[in-house]
Amino acid sequence: MESSAYISLKDVVFSRSGRRIFDGITLDIPKGKITAIMGPSGTGKTTLLRVIGGQLKPDSGQVSVAGHEVPKLKRKELYRLREKMGMLFQSGALFTDISVFENVAFPLRVHTSLPEDMIRDIVLMKLEAVGLRGARDLMPSELSGGMTRRVALARSIALDPELIMYDEPFTGQDPIAMGVLVKLIRDLNSSMGLTSVLVSHDVPESLSICHYACIIADGKVIGTGTPDELRNHPSELVQQFLSGQPDGPVPFHYPASNPVDDFGIKGASI
Amino acid sequence: MDYVAGFGRRSLEVVGSLGRATQFLFGVLVGVPKPATGFPLLIKQLYSVGVLSLAIVVVSGLFIGMVLALQGYTILSDYGSEAAIGQMIALTLVRELGPVVTALLFAGRAGSALTAEIGLMKATEQLSSMEMMGVDPLRRVIAPRLWAGFIAMPILAMIFSVVGIWGGMLVGVDWLGVFEGSFWGNMQSSVDFVDDVLNGVIKSVVFGFVCAWIAVYQGYDCVPTSAGISSATTKTVVYSSLAVLGLDFVLTAVMFGDF
Amino acid sequence: MVQRTTEIVVGFFMIAGLAALLFLALQVSGLSPKSAAATYTVYANFNDVGGLTPRGKVSMAGVTVGSIESISLDKNTFQAKVTMAIRSDVDTIPADSAAVIRTSGLLGEQYIDISIGGDMESLGEGDTFYSTQSAMNLERLISNFASGR
Repeated sequence: MESSAYISLKDVVFSRSGRRIFDGITLDIPKGKITAIMGPSGTGKTTLLRVIGGQLKPDSGQVSVAGHEVPKLKRKELYRLREKMGMLFQSGALFTDISVFENVAFPLRVHTSLPEDMIRDIVLMKLEAVGLRGARDLMPSELSGGMTRRVALARSIALDPELIMYDEPFTGQDPIAMGVLVKLIRDLNSSMGLTSVLVSHDVPESLSICHYACIIADGKVIGTGTPDELRNHPSELVQQFLSGQPDGPVPFHYPASNPVDDFGIKGASI
Repeated sequence: MDYVAGFGRRSLEVVGSLGRATQFLFGVLVGVPKPATGFPLLIKQLYSVGVLSLAIVVVSGLFIGMVLALQGYTILSDYGSEAAIGQMIALTLVRELGPVVTALLFAGRAGSALTAEIGLMKATEQLSSMEMMGVDPLRRVIAPRLWAGFIAMPILAMIFSVVGIWGGMLVGVDWLGVFEGSFWGNMQSSVDFVDDVLNGVIKSVVFGFVCAWIAVYQGYDCVPTSAGISSATTKTVVYSSLAVLGLDFVLTAVMFGDF
Repeated sequence: MVQRTTEIVVGFFMIAGLAALLFLALQVSGLSPKSAAATYTVYANFNDVGGLTPRGKVSMAGVTVGSIESISLDKNTFQAKVTMAIRSDVDTIPADSAAVIRTSGLLGEQYIDISIGGDMESLGEGDTFYSTQSAMNLERLISNFASGR
């Protein structure tokens, strides 16, 4: 696993507005496999993707993608590296003022100087891959949530990237749309050999498609391995997260002052 | 004691955001996009920033010119010099009202729209996704809008002045009966092309730049929520108006003050 | 197609801006290509220029023939030295003409009026008016009158 790591993070520390979000994360993501990063909401999973993509700089630690040390890259090199990355945002992030076709054509027009008929062919191929060739003339506002994400997916694979990062692809999707996305992610990985990073808190879907998984909580990696290894993981925290128990090592109550102070039951002893 | 500390913190915040805005401006201006891709983007923004603001500018200019003629006539006729009405209207419009009122209208019409548009693009992660696609949003999204504001503003201000003078002539000459020859003659002998017209244009260029800068920066820097966008839009209009009026005083003092 | 329409509309917008600038230049500020015509420079020394300003007009018999370029103080004579640009086609100003500072109307701006002399020679480039008449100073006039001098 270490030998063919496409992305590797070492002791990454990141804090924002005084709050420490990552407290020394070490993680290797293998090439050509689907890796799921899971964890409770608010543990900075999306932040992790942004650190990998170079949008945020860690306070310390190393982040390397395809052999490049991301935080040390110059602007130009970073932008060149990003041409090899695709990212599917939670909201899809389609450009609302241009049509589906133009959205998918956008990265091609910016980064290549292909003739118009070739761009058309590539765009239609990518749309066909996500099953939305017929929707090319629609505007993003006319699409459903699932379709938006599929178009965004077509856009992020337009340049045939080596790496694709999915930010919460399953949230807020109906079961059918979710099934479609699961199938697409798996197909893209197997047919194009894409290295895929999947950030999610939908445990069953993520575990069903990923080759490796990693659970983050409290700024630390608490468990890694194949889905089967994780299911039998000794850590209580991992088990709480995987089976979704309301109370456990992650407490039900947000840290609060003594209930006596708030509810004002003077003289009562708890 | 708390008050002093709070004041200090607020001042630092203001200075900090000014620094960020300058850094941001630098990032926008340094990356000049390739002419082939940049030009169509600029045209599109000129349309939404300039052409769409034309209606409100023309209508306001017409009314302001007409009001100036009416007010000027009542005052000047007391001194028996109603013929100077052309001079008064032209100088007021070209030097002051043209650039200032256009800038205020521009901040309300185009500036707020720019802020809301960019803020919404930020909130829906469009800017982030552009960045992840290896496209710098500062160059692709912000720069054309900044330049469009910069170019459109002087044009709008000149159109405002012309329409205002025409409206003033409509009221002064056709309605109140000032002799047309002295209307134009007085105007031409007192308005200087370099000192009045060009200085007015310089003012509007400065205002256009400041308004567009504030608008795009507020959009880019806003908190990406609906409350954040609405407060950023408000800030754009308030800050632009204050900046325009303050700068107008400074520029007027430099250009027309004899000292 | 949409892009094309936008381009055309924006083109019209730019043309409107240019037309506005031309209107402001020609109709409002009275700038005409003629005013760039050649001029020659003459000087005049005044004891008091009053409210005379650069860009003010220079006229003969009420017709504008040039403009004031600059006003400076002569440190030796403590007089004001006014530099005027006169249109080249007005080249027959008699050499003994006088430069008089007058006020247009009661409150209007001040200008230089050339009152024509009778000399056969004409003023040329770099010449100085032989006689001048300074600005009428209303306050001094009144104070002179009141003190009976």
